[in-house]
Parts: sequence; structure tokens; C-alpha cells
Amino acid sequence: MSDALASPAAALPVPPGRVLARGATVLLVMGLAALPFAVQGSWIYALGITFANAVAVLSVSVLVRYGGEVSIGHGFFAAVGAYTVAIMEQRLGVSLLVSLPVGVALGVVSGIAFAWPSRNISGIYLAVSTMALALALPELINNAASFTGGYQGLYVAEPLVPGLSMSLQRYYVPLAALVLVALALGQFRRSRQGMAMLLVRTHPAAADAFGTPRVWARVAVMGISCGVAALAGCVLAFASSTVSPSGFTLWTSIFFLVGSVVSVYGLSLPRALVGGAFLTLVPQLLSASGAWIPVMYGVALLAVILAGHFLPRLSARIRRQGGTA
Amino acid sequence: MSLASIAPASVTPAGTNPAPALTGQGVALAFGGIKVLQGLDVTFRAGEITGLIGPNGAGKTSLFNCLTGAYRPTGGTIHYGTAPLDGLSPAERARKGIVRSFQTVALCPDLTVAENVMMGLARDYRAGWASAFLPLARGRRERAAMMDGAMAALTTLGLERTASAYPGALPPGTQRLVEIARAIAGKPSVLLLDEPAAGLNTAETRELTRALRRLAAPDLVMVVVEHDMDLVMSICDRITVLNFGTIVASGAPDAIRRDPDVQRIYLGTEDD
Amino acid sequence: MNAVLDSLAFDLFPLVWSGIVTGCLYALGALGLVMIFKCSRVVNFSHGNVAGFAAFLVYGFTSGLLLAVSWGVAVLLAAVFIVAIAFLTYALISPLIQTSDLTATIATLGVGLIVQGATLLLFGADIVSLDLPVPRFATSVLGLRITGYDLTVLSVAVVTIGALFLVIDFTKLGIAFRAISSNAFAAEVCGLNLARVQVFAWSVAAGLGVIGALLIVPTTFLSATTVAAFMLQAFAAAVIGGFASLPGSLIGGILIGILMNLFTFYVSPEYASTFLLVVILAALNVFPNGILAPVRGSRV
Repeated sequence: MSDALASPAAALPVPPGRVLARGATVLLVMGLAALPFAVQGSWIYALGITFANAVAVLSVSVLVRYGGEVSIGHGFFAAVGAYTVAIMEQRLGVSLLVSLPVGVALGVVSGIAFAWPSRNISGIYLAVSTMALALALPELINNAASFTGGYQGLYVAEPLVPGLSMSLQRYYVPLAALVLVALALGQFRRSRQGMAMLLVRTHPAAADAFGTPRVWARVAVMGISCGVAALAGCVLAFASSTVSPSGFTLWTSIFFLVGSVVSVYGLSLPRALVGGAFLTLVPQLLSASGAWIPVMYGVALLAVILAGHFLPRLSARIRRQGGTA
Repeated sequence: MSLASIAPASVTPAGTNPAPALTGQGVALAFGGIKVLQGLDVTFRAGEITGLIGPNGAGKTSLFNCLTGAYRPTGGTIHYGTAPLDGLSPAERARKGIVRSFQTVALCPDLTVAENVMMGLARDYRAGWASAFLPLARGRRERAAMMDGAMAALTTLGLERTASAYPGALPPGTQRLVEIARAIAGKPSVLLLDEPAAGLNTAETRELTRALRRLAAPDLVMVVVEHDMDLVMSICDRITVLNFGTIVASGAPDAIRRDPDVQRIYLGTEDD
Repeated sequence: MNAVLDSLAFDLFPLVWSGIVTGCLYALGALGLVMIFKCSRVVNFSHGNVAGFAAFLVYGFTSGLLLAVSWGVAVLLAAVFIVAIAFLTYALISPLIQTSDLTATIATLGVGLIVQGATLLLFGADIVSLDLPVPRFATSVLGLRITGYDLTVLSVAVVTIGALFLVIDFTKLGIAFRAISSNAFAAEVCGLNLARVQVFAWSVAAGLGVIGALLIVPTTFLSATTVAAFMLQAFAAAVIGGFASLPGSLIGGILIGILMNLFTFYVSPEYASTFLLVVILAALNVFPNGILAPVRGSRV
């Protein structure tokens, strides 16, 4: 009977809203690509970091969206990527071209290794154990000083494209990473694996009954998310030209989560950019008083969460009253 | 009396029904000290729709969950054809073509109706992680094939127009039909329907009845747990009645309707 | 051989003893986390930051930075502030719990960030010292050095935890708490006031955090991060207890206290957090439902 239907998949139209959004994103990326010719110096550097942070924000959002899990230890996986780049440059003299795939692979492997012990238990345990992971990270880095450079950290200076201005590379490489990750995640949403994960998150028993075990989804989503986090770490190291333990504390991990919440766990490029910009530009603006940063972040976090909770209800009530009036 | 009416598979003349049946021998289940199922022998034949009925707490859902692998029976074995299913998880049973629908709507709100139904076929596809993230031809082909299968299943139930909607936008009755579309999309060999008509209005129930009759195929084992007696009587070829974890009667709808034990249980509880 | 015995007598027993003492403090932290989790299904990540803030408030009230009052008055004032914060947190978070406990858990991080920032704004990032008015003496029992601090901690912990268990076992509020933590919906249907019990749990948890923070500070120093870091041990203790068992988290706390002491002495003090991480992961695998959970038949 399926023969009677001539591929209805092609018949389904793409909604016009999505076409518009896609066009706006393309324009945004083109604008960002042209930006280094318009503005100068420190802004270019800050935007490079913004893009890298946006990728890190995406890694947390993937975990929330596809796994229904919260991590407050993604700084660890970013550190895996960042230190892979720095150590491979120092020891082997190779550039991001070689070290980035290695870093991402290590991120995926460490994410899976970490998810395995909590594969059968509810999400709060992942949150708690990732917090322990984030707290353990600085001491791990400091105690492996011969590799990681301890407190001092390491420099990342090897260009990806020899001959091209390094400050431009520090802008374009993170931008390219952000665009590619956003595109790949768009693809993933339509994939069999992506849809299966979404079903597991909302109805694990149903997913199980149709051949997708919950454990597979839990472990796989951590693998993907941590791979993206490691990628973010790689480009963060490249963009900031240095890695050190002070860049990967518990706060780093919490801030990634704050960025993800502020972007409303969005997986699109503009949303991730909002989260990344929030993480990078707020500290710049508040640089005079560092203590205001956690306050700002906390207030923003609560504001977004409460708005997300109350606004739909409020608008529904207003609509209902409008209907009766 | 009633036990005699459960015909063992061997009684069926050889050749008339070559497709494997779903059988349970001595299926027992206990929670703590409470015996929910007291060693049931059941045979669900291919080509037939078997109704599983009984008053609340009779053990219908427990038996159902043992068949799907959601519960692990404390005794007995379950076979599909000659292959034992004991110890297999729901996911592993699903890969053998044994699928179920859910009593409560278990559709993912983030996926469109078509995508939800596509998950009913996911077990037959193998495109790797590369095509999950990269725009490769293999992944595109897979999605198109899954979409075709999903649309075919939706069309069977008259739901093709809802394909690109999200489940939350549909009335509850339609969501239930989508749920059944997902169960049949993968061309299962055993289809276990858990109260498919719960929450459906009369028109939707009629649509469902028609669809279930159309689904019946010589190689498909179909089991329906249902409260709606009219539905059960009209679509089932065979009915098994449970009470207190044992089989009270089993046979054709007319025989069941006339069975004094069944009348006593049913009329008794209906009156309560 | 003799050396081993000697080291057992001279190192092991004192290590276990002081492990038990600090373990009681971890247990106080863990009990608060578990109480909140049991009735609200939220992991309160602001617990450590709020408790640290409390310790700073006591410092501020006694040192003349904010006020110059006696220690007892300062503790009382701080407790009032902290319970108010707990109440505010609960009021903010309770609407979220119904829709998603994960969102509510993230929201507690927001509260933690704000409290952490407030601590930094009010007291700065410097290290201060805060002492307890405890009897200063030390005695030796069977070769074990026991200090006034040890006895204070033990007696405060025993009294607090004993009182808590009595309240939960015998008062109306405690019974309501148990009913709600085993089945919130059924309890609410039966007419129990969920909000009242939750406010009770959040306030008591905050109080336990304050006591734990004040007692732990003399063993280290007070900075904006010490107490929050101390709470990792409390989290580990709660995980060992299965996050839903009050006696389990008490045992978990003492176990963590002893294990941490043994690890830092015999292996390395530099990998303390890593060790805790390993303990948490091991506990999740060995007894996923908590150390006191009966081994239940699998329902697959």
C-alpha cells in the first residue's frame, strides 16, 4: 500500500517562518564575516572568544534539549579540548588542524566514560557528579604541571593557516566552528538518532518499546555534548592564545550553563551567539567590579527561567480575557 | 471447562497457519507476596485479533507488560514461534518485530506527527553517526524512506493531513490514533495494543475499528487489551477473559458472550 | 610489622576519630540537601553558598564590620537572615517545581550565584578567620588526642541530628514531611499543606547548613569559596545515602569524613576533589539507591 504514495516526504512544504529565520541567520553570518574590515583590535579579539563561548553554550544546550540533563561540569570537557590543542602544539609542534580532531575525539570518549556510571539513574546525579568533576579539574591540571604548565598554563600560537594574520585567524576559526556546529546540530535534529533521543527524553518507555534503549540515549547524548564542549575548548584555546587552570574552574562550568539558560537552550546560531555574548561581554562591561558578575549572572539566570515559566501563562490568560471581552 | 477451550497450537491443522504464534507457558508474576498472574498458558495466533478482557485488576495489563518485556515474569516462558523471549528487554523485543502501543499518549511533543510515527520504523534503519551530523546522501535516503513508511501508516488511519503538525495541537483522540500509527508503521509481526480506544469519541472509535480490521494480516499476531466491549466483540476473532490472574474463558466472541462464568464476572462487576 | 602496628595506633585511630568529627559536619550539610530533595525534588545547589554567607554574616556581626555584638546574638541574627533567604528561594522556586524539577534545580544555581556575589561585594575576596567560642582543652584517651573542638562538634551534631529525627518521627509537621516525601500528590489530596511542609524543610535545611558552616570554619579559614567547597563533601555524603534517606546521608557523611582523612594522609592531599569524584561515581555504581536501600527485585 505504501507504493500508492509517491514519496509524500517531498510534498511537505517548509514553513515560511523557517525560511525567513534561515535567511536572517545567513545575513547575520555574512555580517559577522565582514566585521573585521569594519571594527578593529580588541573587539575582534572579544568576538572571537564570544564565538568560542557560543560553541560551549551549544554543548550544554544539546545536553539539556536532547538528554533532559543538566551539567555543571562542562568546563572539564572544554579543558580536555583546550589542553589537547596546547599540549600537542608544545610537544609535537602541530597546529589546530591536527589537534582539533584529536581534542574532539578525546572529549567524546571522556564524556561517554563519564556518563557510563550514571547511565541508570536520574538526572540529578549527573548534575552532582559533574559538579565534582568541575571541582576536581583545577587540581588535576595543577598536579600534571609537567604536561599542562601548572598555574602558568601554556601558550597556543601555532597558526592554522601559515602566513595569514593571527588576529584574523583568532576571529575566523571560532566563527567557522560556530557556524559548522550549528549546521551539524540542525542536521542532527532531523536524523534518526536525534529524533530517538528526543523521544527517550520525553517517553523513555515508548522509546524502549520501539527499539531505542534509554541507556544508549543517555550515553550517546553525553558523547555528543562533550564532543562539542571539547571543540569549544579547542577554539577557545586558539582564540585566547593561552590555556590556564584559572580558565577552567567550577565557575567556568556554571557560566556555560548560565549562557545556555540565557539563550533559552537554543540550538540555533543566533541563540548560541546571545549566550556566548552574555558570557564574554558582560564581564568586559563589569570589569571594574568583578563581584557584580556572579550577581548579574544569577539575576539573569533567574529572570530567564521565571520569564520562561510565567510569560506563556500570562499571555494565555490575557488572550483568554481578550476572547471573553 | 474453560481450559479445554484454549486450543494448543498443535491442534491447528498443519499448513493452515504457518506464521508463528506468540505463546506463554505458565506465565506467573508476583509483586511482593501478591500473585498477579498465576501461571497462565496463552496462545495468540497469527492472522487473528485476540481480545484480552477482564475486570479491573484481573491481570490484563500485567500479562501485557510481561509480553512486551516491561515486567520480568517470576515464572514461565514466553515464545514467539520457537524463539524464547525471556530476559529480552522491550527494545530487543521491538527489534524482533514485537511492538506495543501505550495506554496514555506517549508521543514526543518536540517531534512532528510524521516524525513521531517515523520512530516506529527506526529499528529497521542503520545510517551511522556521520549521516546524523553531515548532509550525506545516505541519511537523506533514510529519512525519505522513513517518511514514506510513516505517511503510509498515517494514511491507513486517515491521518495523513496531520503529518506536519505537532502532537500538542491535535485533539486527544487523534493523538491516540497517531500512537497506533506509530505502532503499525514498522510492519510489526506482533502488535500489542493497550486500550487503543481509551479517550476516543464514537467517530474516532469507528475509524479505529475499521483500521484495525484492515490491519489484520495472515502473519500478524494482534492482541488488544480493551474495555470497550462493543469494539472487542466486533473486531476480535478470539477473546481471552482473565480474572484474579487466571484464565476464565477463551474462545470465539459468541462463545464468550454465552459463557456463564464470563457473564457472572462481567455482569457482576458492571453492576457494582 | 611493628612499624605497621605503630602506624595503625598513631595514625589510623586519630585519623578515624577526626574523620568522624568532620564527617558529622558533612552529614549536617547532607541532611539539609536531602530534606529539600525529599519534599521538593530539587537539588539545592545554593546550599553551600548560603551557608558560607551565614558564616560571613557571623564574622561581620562580631568583628565590627557590620555590627559589634556578642557571638550568640550574631548567630541568631545570621540565622534569621539565612532562613529569610531560604524562604525567598523557596518562594522563587516553588512555582517551577511543578513543571520541571530540572529547571528548578538550575534556578537554585542562580540563587547560589547571587549569594556568592553578595558575599564578595560585602566581605571581599580576602581570607578572614572566624573562631568558635568553644572550651579550649585537649585530653588524651587511649592515646587519642581529643580537643574541646571535637567534643563541641560531636555534641552539637548529636543534639541537632537527634532533635531533627525526633521532630520528623513524632511531630505533626514531621509526619506530614514524611507523607509528602513518600508521595506528594497523595499527601496533598489528603489535605496536607504542601507549602507549609516545604517551607519547614527549606528553613530547617538552611539552619543545618549554618550550623555546619560555623563548625567547619575553625578547622580551615573563611573565604568566599571555602564553605561552598566544603559542601562538595556534603553532596558526596548525600549521594552515598541515595539522596532520599536521612539516616543514609548521616552514615554517608561520617564515611566521607573518614575516607577523606585516610586518603589525604595515606595517598595524597592534592587530589582530594578527584578522590571525592571517584567516591561519588563508585557509590552510584555500587549502591545506586543509597547505602541503606534494600536490594530490591528487578522490575527490569
